[in-house]
Amino acid sequence: MKFIRSVTDVFGYSPFDALHRHAELCGQAVVKLKEQFEAYREGDFERVKKLEKEIDGLEYQADLLKQEIRTHVTKSLMLPVDRQDLLNFLKPQDSIIDYCEHTTHMITYRKMSIPDEMWADLMELLEKVKETVMKYEELVDHVAKLIATSFTKKEVQDAMEHVPQVEELEHQCDKVQIRLHRKIYNAENMNLLDALLLRELVIQLGEIANNTARAANAFRTMVLSR
Amino acid sequence: MISFLIIFTLAVGLYMAWNIGANDAANSMATSYGSKALTLRQIIIIAGILEFLGAVLYGKRVTHTIAKGIVPIESLPAELVAIGALSAILSAGLWITLATYYHLPVSTTHSAVGAMLGFGLATASQRLISLNNINWAVMYKIVASWIVSPIFGAFMAFLIFTFIRMIIFEKFDVEAVEHVFRYLQVGTACYVAFAHGSNDVANAIAPVAAALGYIGVETPVWLLVLGGIGIAVGIATWGYRVIETVGKRITELTPTRGFSAEFATATTVIIASSLGMPISTTHTLVGSVIGVGLAGGLASVDLSVVRRIVASWLLTVPVAAGLTIAIYTVMVVLI
Repeated sequence: MKFIRSVTDVFGYSPFDALHRHAELCGQAVVKLKEQFEAYREGDFERVKKLEKEIDGLEYQADLLKQEIRTHVTKSLMLPVDRQDLLNFLKPQDSIIDYCEHTTHMITYRKMSIPDEMWADLMELLEKVKETVMKYEELVDHVAKLIATSFTKKEVQDAMEHVPQVEELEHQCDKVQIRLHRKIYNAENMNLLDALLLRELVIQLGEIANNTARAANAFRTMVLSR
Repeated sequence: MISFLIIFTLAVGLYMAWNIGANDAANSMATSYGSKALTLRQIIIIAGILEFLGAVLYGKRVTHTIAKGIVPIESLPAELVAIGALSAILSAGLWITLATYYHLPVSTTHSAVGAMLGFGLATASQRLISLNNINWAVMYKIVASWIVSPIFGAFMAFLIFTFIRMIIFEKFDVEAVEHVFRYLQVGTACYVAFAHGSNDVANAIAPVAAALGYIGVETPVWLLVLGGIGIAVGIATWGYRVIETVGKRITELTPTRGFSAEFATATTVIIASSLGMPISTTHTLVGSVIGVGLAGGLASVDLSVVRRIVASWLLTVPVAAGLTIAIYTVMVVLI
């Protein structure tokens, strides 16, 4: 529409919706990742391939959102949170989906034969990682409400309650991870390449949880240091 | 001849009134549409009536300032005042049309004041008056009011929203609060329309008032009525589109935020009208929105708009003045 003078320019780009959508993509990716491991265990390699593609697509979408935020959050914007804090929080959140992507590719490198006992631990680790990311998503779900209420004390408290919960879940992931590593390094009969890849996968899954906890902490810093 | 010039001035003045209604009035009302406090139809009716009332009941003082406060028209021949007034309104109208076309945040107020100043400078260059006869004290006051008004709006909006945030939001459910403010915002929407009419009608009709050569204090009421009608017609015939476009883009201005910005804007503008100061309602509104942002009320405020507004101030006054001088010179030579 041409013939117009308007005040709308004063309303700048808001990154919060994109941040929320980005967190949702992380959640979707980790759910699919667990499905992919299940399919792998059942030997359904076609499904493994399909899920690899899907997770790859989610990571690409998240990447676009990250770029959108990075390009639009310029110095002339006045946000209710510190701009640098916001970007510092986006970084680990983006790593969540990055590590999902690494893992989804890595598992397709080789058809490993993994002892049942280790499979059980691996699935437990995946479940814990998924729970961690889901809990984290609940935290980020508060963003819209925080903005709507202009960060009232009650709303900030409600949101912040999730941070220690994410950290607790991350700690549980660590425990399973340590147990698994111990088993891998003592699996005398396991094919060396299988053990090597499995060890790598466990590390990557751990990184998903680590970055989720990191992102939760950065979120807390962003909200509390306003 | 003079009556022909005056009729022409009135015609361009009515176009200005239409443009003010179509853009500035519409912008001031769009906040109420963005927060869904009112439907488009309701806004057009409310804005039409209250802009009209503001113009007729409270538009006199600012009109007086622009018509006679800057250029000492009493000491000029009637014909030259008519030519000068026509040049001023043509210049302001032309500049505003260009600015509207290119989406520049130019104020009709700054254009009208700059154009009248151009008229004064042109007569001074003819040695009909001396430069000292131009009322610089009023001019400085006006410029000061342009700087003060957005800051005042920002400050007041900051205080209002901070109060809402720290007292009301902490105690009550935010959704319920927003619901109540949706109704309160109907009041502030009326307030803004009235204030806007009272201040901005002058930009359209002050040159006409000057051309009519009124030596006394009074601006004829029928002129304010015509200006008010022009603004109302502008809202109804084009402003609704602007309200729709702008309103859709500012949905983050929830009723509490809209209320804060509107109340601060309207109060600032009404004070300016009482003091006879022609200020820009849209710039004050931008200031008020920034005030809400400073209080932590908005997800994102783009401060680069401030730079563009300041640039438009610095550009508008000399351009409108220069254009007036050019048109005036041509007309004096021809007539």
